[in-house]
Amino acid sequence: MSDVNGLTTDLGERRARFEVDESIYALDTIQGAAYLFLDRCYVFLDRPADRRVAVLLKAKGDADEATLEALAGEFANELLNQALRKAVGASNAKIREFILAKAFFSVDAPSSIDKLLAELDAEEMEPLEIPVPWEKSDG
Amino acid sequence: MTISTRLTTPLRVDPTALAPEVGFFRYGVVGGKVLLTNEGGEFHFLEQDRFDTFLRGKIDGEERVELERKGFFKTGLDIDRMAGRIRRKKSFLGGGPHLHIVVTTLRCNHACKYCHASRTDMDRVDTDMSLATAREVVEFAFGTPSRVLNFEFQGGEPTANFAALKFVVEHALEKNRYEDRELLFSLVTNLTLMDDEKMNFLVDKGVMVCTSLDGPEDLHNKNRGWIGKGSSYQTVSGWMEKFNQAWIAKGLDPNLFHVDALMTCTRDSLSRGREIVDEYVKRGIKSIHLRPLNPFGFAVNTWKQIGYTMEEFLAFYQDTLDYILELNQQGIFIQERQAAMFLTKMLTPDDPNYTDCRSPAGSGSAQLAYNFDGSIYTCDEGRMVAHMGNDFFKLGHVTGTAWNDIAKHPTVRAIAVASIQEALPACVDCVYKPTCGIQPLHNYMFDGDLFGQRPRSRKCQEFFGEQADLYRRLAEDTDGRVEKIFRRWTIQRSRPGTIPYPTEGSA
Repeated sequence: MSDVNGLTTDLGERRARFEVDESIYALDTIQGAAYLFLDRCYVFLDRPADRRVAVLLKAKGDADEATLEALAGEFANELLNQALRKAVGASNAKIREFILAKAFFSVDAPSSIDKLLAELDAEEMEPLEIPVPWEKSDG
Repeated sequence: MTISTRLTTPLRVDPTALAPEVGFFRYGVVGGKVLLTNEGGEFHFLEQDRFDTFLRGKIDGEERVELERKGFFKTGLDIDRMAGRIRRKKSFLGGGPHLHIVVTTLRCNHACKYCHASRTDMDRVDTDMSLATAREVVEFAFGTPSRVLNFEFQGGEPTANFAALKFVVEHALEKNRYEDRELLFSLVTNLTLMDDEKMNFLVDKGVMVCTSLDGPEDLHNKNRGWIGKGSSYQTVSGWMEKFNQAWIAKGLDPNLFHVDALMTCTRDSLSRGREIVDEYVKRGIKSIHLRPLNPFGFAVNTWKQIGYTMEEFLAFYQDTLDYILELNQQGIFIQERQAAMFLTKMLTPDDPNYTDCRSPAGSGSAQLAYNFDGSIYTCDEGRMVAHMGNDFFKLGHVTGTAWNDIAKHPTVRAIAVASIQEALPACVDCVYKPTCGIQPLHNYMFDGDLFGQRPRSRKCQEFFGEQADLYRRLAEDTDGRVEKIFRRWTIQRSRPGTIPYPTEGSA
């Protein structure tokens, strides 16, 4: 058994097991983190009790305790990243849908889009002196 | 190389701190800074200790203004501008197939160690495309809606059946007198069956030539076994020079009109990146594509001898890119083509429509491959899978299949669904999502299904590693010299017949 910064991990042969409180991390957050570890270990999720998710990480090869502890720690960090991504997605869901609808289904007057694209072109091209072929410029 | 460790950041990350005015963003740590990206193709580097301030919506001053302009805050967000940028980035949607790969024959006089194109011996004339089939290929391609039609000849060695190649070019040019499409021709050839008559035809008709050059003579000849007398390298380099002189004689700019080349990296190449670049510079080639080996085709059997891990390839890529940048800073222009493709996505409002790095993928919708017998495939790799006995990627035949049948084909639709990043775990959250793409066929080859699993995908590791390296260089670029070079790489000067981002076929 290991306890690093409050993460209690049960270490066994080539495996680390710990539990996650589902009132803190939603199941899709836990699954999202688990997906990113597919290349490094075998992942098994279980529900030992209500609102608790057990994560079992089994190394694909030999692994000492330090390696397993680090793996569990990285998983815990990834839970935070996944939770933040979920929060960012939820906070912006409606406005993203609106922007995508505007991008692909709107019927704006062509002149405004042309103006926008011209602005984007100018933004990218001005510092490049694009009419000057590279071999004739200073580089 | 694993994407999970790259995504696991040492940042202070407090999901409960997110302020409501913070806009949509993806993030990762690159070059010691936090990279933010969004759907509009914008990116921003934050100092790590500013990330928490950003999450709390407390960044102010000039950086706040810049972040708002880029769309990382809802406050000050120009919705029309963001929508316009997204639309422009995805403007390839609905364009139809512009890349038409024509396999004039499976015959080839090379037996390269890494060949993943299906090939047969030179006496197998039964694998030559007939002129009747060549005519149907042209008719079918003109039946697709794309404004641009790029006929790319591959094989086998396509010049082994030069009659079919010639027929396609002449028939397409004749047909285009009435169709008025933007017509491009490109030939991917090993050049060893070239003669003056063929060369004069190609130069006269504006067919651009792309060959394989793996580096200095010993390396090239070791990789590319030639069933012939003499040195493959000497023959290739000799014809490259002849072509280049022929274009100069026509009064064409040698900076634009020259034989392009592709290199495939084997284990022997890993320690010789700088020599390979020198070889390209010596030949006047302005662009080099550092291509990793695919464990397909012959390479499956030779993998132990010539293969390597993706970590090894990425170390090679980074070291060779260091050297390419050194040369550019000395005034010697040469670009790395994969980097240029990513940089166009990163630094400009456009997407280069590289069919192998798009979302959704271009197989079947932006490119089609026509086998010698007239069978239509999603792409050249799809044809190769068929050669292994699996017709999953076959879409029809030039006689009896209409473009609408292709567009609605279950395989084309499945490929599209399997390559929409917004619906793929890992991709949907990845900081490189706006500039990356999916290759479902690679997933199919490795995992047995089109969707695959990103953390185990060699292609994902490659794209992830290359983009991480490019963003790192930008993050560390305090004086702007690297960005200036990178921006030059994104400029595509028009050249008839150019294939800016050729497919992965071998020459």
